[in-house]
Amino acid sequence: MRFTVRVWRQTGSEDAGRLVEYDVDDVSPDMSFLEMLDVLNERLTLRGEEPVAFDHDCREGICGMCGLTINGVAHGPRRATTTCQLHMREFTDGDTIVVEPWRAAPFPVVRDLVVDRGALDEVVRAGGYVSVSTGSAPEAHATPVARADADKAFESAACIGCGACVAACPNGSAMLFTAAKVTHLGRLPQGAPERDTRALDMLAAHDEAGFGGCTNTGECTAVCPKGIPLADIAQFNQDVLRASLRGAGGRPA
Amino acid sequence: MQFHKYDVVIVGAGGAGMRAAIESGQQARTAVLTKLYPTRSHTGAAQGGMCAALANVEEDNWEWHTFDTVKGGDYLVDQDAAEIMAKEAIDAVLDLEKMGLPFNRTPEGKIDQRRFGGHTRNHGEAAVRRACYAADRTGHMILQTLYQNCIKHEVEFFNEFYVLDICLTETADGPVCTGAVALELATGEIHVFQAKAVVFATGGFGKVFKTTSNAHTLTGDGMAIVFRKGLPLEDMEFYQFHPTGLAGLGILLTEGARGEGGILRNDSGERFMERYAPTIKDLAPRDMVARAMATEVREGRGCGPHKDYVLLDLTHLGAEVLDAKLPDITEFSRTYLGIDPVEEPVPVYPTAHYAMGGIPTNIKGEVLRDAENVVPGLYAAGECACVSVHGANRLGTNSLLDINVFGRRAGIAAAEYAKAHDFVDLPEAPEVPVVAMVDKLNASTGGERVANIRTELQQTMDANASVYRTEDTLKQALHDVQALKERFDRVAIQDHGKRYNTDLLEAVELGFLLELAEVLVLGAINRKESRGGHAREDYTTRDDVNFLRHTMAYKQISDDDTTKKTGFGGLTADIRLDYKPVVITRYQPMERKY
Repeated sequence: MRFTVRVWRQTGSEDAGRLVEYDVDDVSPDMSFLEMLDVLNERLTLRGEEPVAFDHDCREGICGMCGLTINGVAHGPRRATTTCQLHMREFTDGDTIVVEPWRAAPFPVVRDLVVDRGALDEVVRAGGYVSVSTGSAPEAHATPVARADADKAFESAACIGCGACVAACPNGSAMLFTAAKVTHLGRLPQGAPERDTRALDMLAAHDEAGFGGCTNTGECTAVCPKGIPLADIAQFNQDVLRASLRGAGGRPA
Repeated sequence: MQFHKYDVVIVGAGGAGMRAAIESGQQARTAVLTKLYPTRSHTGAAQGGMCAALANVEEDNWEWHTFDTVKGGDYLVDQDAAEIMAKEAIDAVLDLEKMGLPFNRTPEGKIDQRRFGGHTRNHGEAAVRRACYAADRTGHMILQTLYQNCIKHEVEFFNEFYVLDICLTETADGPVCTGAVALELATGEIHVFQAKAVVFATGGFGKVFKTTSNAHTLTGDGMAIVFRKGLPLEDMEFYQFHPTGLAGLGILLTEGARGEGGILRNDSGERFMERYAPTIKDLAPRDMVARAMATEVREGRGCGPHKDYVLLDLTHLGAEVLDAKLPDITEFSRTYLGIDPVEEPVPVYPTAHYAMGGIPTNIKGEVLRDAENVVPGLYAAGECACVSVHGANRLGTNSLLDINVFGRRAGIAAAEYAKAHDFVDLPEAPEVPVVAMVDKLNASTGGERVANIRTELQQTMDANASVYRTEDTLKQALHDVQALKERFDRVAIQDHGKRYNTDLLEAVELGFLLELAEVLVLGAINRKESRGGHAREDYTTRDDVNFLRHTMAYKQISDDDTTKKTGFGGLTADIRLDYKPVVITRYQPMERKY
């Protein structure tokens, strides 16, 4: 197969950046999208040009490193997959493909297609954990958890933090990401004691990091490679409302 | 160059590194240096589970788990370490539970458990349900949970800091570890970290093989760094091939698939594992299953147009079980092969998966400099380390357990050491070896390319040093690897920039891989027996008289060698092989049958 790819090139945060057009031929339909970029990079390197920088690692959809906006869609045309799981057979021979980094104010472009997603860590830092001490002699009993709650928590915990939800959202909101973390922990008895403060603190951190507000457009869940449902955001809103009404003390905004 | 000073520096932010950081971070000023980002580490790709004798769903105890681990490792396991791991497994699972890991549950709300290869009831009577799991995303859940807790404890992360050297300061009592040197990938700048204690948790080196479940980043950095310093590597010839990689791709399908009832079949539809392991069949340990599959294919009973794979049959499990307990691998099969496991069996073949060997440590995670003495201040845990709890063959789920138990132990030991000791001066100009290595690669005008050498390395390792080995194939591999090392001396990189220079990164990684491939092959040539994951066709039986001992490989760096100062270069230096006794406590070696 043969493609024309228009790739976003940007040397750093000060550079304005631009789309640059390349022809890539000898592409097998069984190649993943990232392997197609490997082919492009190999040729660029041979010609003495700078290869295109992009994030990747496991290439099996679990590490959350890869993230490209392909023809305007985060992770490309196939639903519920990461970019590394997208294959060239999803495209038609001769297609022009536009490849851009995640676009969101809190995700500054580092170089070409690589963005800094550190803002998501700031959200987690605000309360995306269960406070337990380890290292001491643990109590020798387990915490029973109802299967339905465990299953729901699991579904939310499947989030790999790739940031596609942010890239897809017209408001640049990270509510799906934040809601997934809040819902995962809030559903479990271990996470219950901090449920109120967690919801308020993580929301505050989300806003502080510069992510936009949620208007329930649902673009996020449509591109989520792990299928985190929009219902998590509804649950998150409910938790925030409940915590506010109960006058739970979140950290000062 | 920038300079930093911490009590404890942890290298690697996978499961072992972060488990260590949680402990160390509460007691001492701790920095974690990672080539990637913490939540992107390869622990996240682990699928099936983490074994602990909780006895939630049927009778079980830690002694049975210890026995299975020892027998599974073909008696090369250090039994004191295996016992500690099996005992502390229970706390390790409960710790994760308390941190909020969403384990699958039984209808009563207890942590559910499933069967896994080689884990048995009462010393081999039948398969036991011992693996705690979060569907087939257990590793992902562990990684996220540990990361969340590191953040809670305000551990400092240095992301995309690639550690390329450790600092050893010579004292009257031998070398002491005093820090690490890293390359910041974003800027190309060199950073020196002075530390009282350094913990290596850098993972495996699966990228020496072509067909592997390992991610691109797994290039054995930590192992190669200590080896270049003249410290030993233990049992490197023992490499695990996971039976069920997607045929041709190497992408992993969890052993949990067989734990849930999946069956391996050959071209006639026969459940061939009945012939190789009559009692536990498809749930035999990985080395045995991988060999059985390779044998079926060799003897012409493979499937497909080239008869070069076998089939993993999950069709009888039904869509509901696959969806609830094995969703990711179901999706993998659909995505990568276009095959729906609900409807038809999946083509599978062994894929390079896990290094049993690595940096030798004792049960506190302290790194050994020979068969008896430790390097004060240097610790290792996880796949890069060799305690040895996996011996000649690791049982499924014991890696997630290893990182939690020995990551925790190394973190505690490092913090306690840091609290009890003062800083020791760094050696003079500690950054010189790294600067020299980077400069040499940048200055090279040779005609060799990284991608070509790496491809040839992976091809010879796949062809000559994988599931089955002979003197001839191994000698071929050694010859090839040594020739590639010579060519590597003339390797040139195209990108000479500072920022995110992946070209440079890959060249450095290739140097590490070549180093480790040679150790693996040399150890394999020397071990004239078959044990666990090391199967010699010319020495088909286990030889406890001559080989019930750990291999210790040392890089020979002669005094007049100018490369000694830099610690790098001189890749073709000789390797000296020595031995370390196996710790045997409860179980005398016996024939390994299932």
